Amino acid sequence: MLHSIQLDKERIATLAPENQAGVRVVRRHHLLVRCSHWLNVPILLGLILSGMSIYWASPVYRHKPDPQTGSFDPLADIGVWICAHVPGLHHYGSPPDWVYNHISLGPGVLAVALRLHWLCAYLFMLNGLVFVMGSAMGGGWRSLLPRRTDLRDATKMFWYYIGVPFAKLTRRTWLHPRFNTKYNALQRVAYFSVPIAGFLSVLTGWAIHKPMQLYWLTAVFGGYDKERVWHFWLMCFFVLFVVPHVILVLADGWDTLRSMIVGWSTRAERSEAFDNEA
Amino acid sequence: MKLEDEHSALEADNPSSTKSVSPRKSASFFEERPPQVMEVAPQLLRHWTRRDLLLFGMGAIAAAAGGGSLLPQATLKRLGIIDGNKNWPTKEWLLNRALRVDDDVAEALYSRNRLVPTYTKSQITPLKNNYNGATPDPSYIPEWRLTLDGLASGLSVSLNIRNLLASFRLHEQITRLVCVEGWSAIAWWAGLRFDDLLSAYPPMSQAKWARIESSVNVGPWGNPDPYFVSLDLSTARHPQTLLATHLNGESLTVEHGAPLRLHVPVKLGLKNIKAITRITYTKDEPQDCWAKRGYSHYDGI
Repeated sequence: MLHSIQLDKERIATLAPENQAGVRVVRRHHLLVRCSHWLNVPILLGLILSGMSIYWASPVYRHKPDPQTGSFDPLADIGVWICAHVPGLHHYGSPPDWVYNHISLGPGVLAVALRLHWLCAYLFMLNGLVFVMGSAMGGGWRSLLPRRTDLRDATKMFWYYIGVPFAKLTRRTWLHPRFNTKYNALQRVAYFSVPIAGFLSVLTGWAIHKPMQLYWLTAVFGGYDKERVWHFWLMCFFVLFVVPHVILVLADGWDTLRSMIVGWSTRAERSEAFDNEA
Repeated sequence: MKLEDEHSALEADNPSSTKSVSPRKSASFFEERPPQVMEVAPQLLRHWTRRDLLLFGMGAIAAAAGGGSLLPQATLKRLGIIDGNKNWPTKEWLLNRALRVDDDVAEALYSRNRLVPTYTKSQITPLKNNYNGATPDPSYIPEWRLTLDGLASGLSVSLNIRNLLASFRLHEQITRLVCVEGWSAIAWWAGLRFDDLLSAYPPMSQAKWARIESSVNVGPWGNPDPYFVSLDLSTARHPQTLLATHLNGESLTVEHGAPLRLHVPVKLGLKNIKAITRITYTKDEPQDCWAKRGYSHYDGI
């Protein structure tokens, strides 16, 4: 009831008098969120690509040197295997470098990779700081905060997403679990853990970068060698997040993708449920 | 959620209700705010969409071009974007700027009073010979001398290893050496403090830097490429900055820079120069062979 009164006021305020039928849209993403979201794309890409070039210089994971090739890096071995088994790659110039040539800036560019990594890292920290301060002041963090029921609801959402392709193939109806919040439980868990992973990446990064001056931080993560493992797996977390994130956004449709660019969504009915549920 | 909305509905009906005020207030701090619905004229919405998508597209193109131009030459060549050697002055400027910011942060973090962690003998790990196949011929060792330049006295001092061992107290420490590549090693070092050498042979008053050089077997038959690093005197005066003579309880071997090398645990391994032959104190920052190859100048860790 309260809502409809508010709406009428807005209708009067935003509609030019000659317009009878306006489009109902809901404000979805603040400009700050949209900017920091898209800035993360080149920054994280730069961090991961340069990070893997740094990893190449001294791999975190290694095995006993192979008696024939002298290789101790499992990623180099995977490259050798790919070049030996994938058709068309038999004449690849340097098989041990295949993986690094595809997931990093390439081998042997440590100096440039380090400079790029610092540049992106400072931009990442700045971007993260602006995002956190903006969400704290604007209150946007509330929609990301996990609820007590989220574990159960997130599982429900997970099985829903898993089931969608099969339901589509078999032309069965497959109902979307109901929710009346900006994000569903699975999104909340994912979107809340990303800033935390970002924060931990920054902490482990500093601990690796300054193990002497920040030796206490290095100790928190279990010493110099262990924190490199932490930093590596936090990078993997971002990759594991981004893949389903992009797939689900594309599957959800243009409105969802557009809302991260323009800020509004025409799916106003989801917010109506907000009041109608009561 | 539902409960909260009931509360708010209740409140709207009866604003003076005091019962629901306190629980609602405490809950609402964490509670999601209802989204703002608005009604917009279709042509205005189309205008907004066009404007924002255009801005986004331009931003994406700018980011791809700007970010792409920062990539290493080898990467761009491999991707077939450039051929031959091409470098942009802005690229170098931006990357060097980031490196300078990082060096300034490192310098701000450094304190002469903050000691680095030390370890026990059971934690010692193997230290690899990082000459990478270019270990010098040990024939230089009997003739070895250390030359000091840029001193307050204006003279040049030449010392042999017996002079050094006889006139300075040796200090021991088990510390970690961290390489820029990402590996590290814990070793038991012994040597004289750089600070003690600075007190015994004070540098000229304006000196802020030391250029430390290793020129052994230089010449057509030996090492064609002397190794040299820059070290700020503030770091040189750190109590754990050693001019090491011993490793793991024994005199340094040629692999580890006999007879005298720098062990500066607050810097990356590449500053820990082996087989030092000359130290020159300077007012301005001297050249550093790794900084010339695109690594940082300061290298504080």
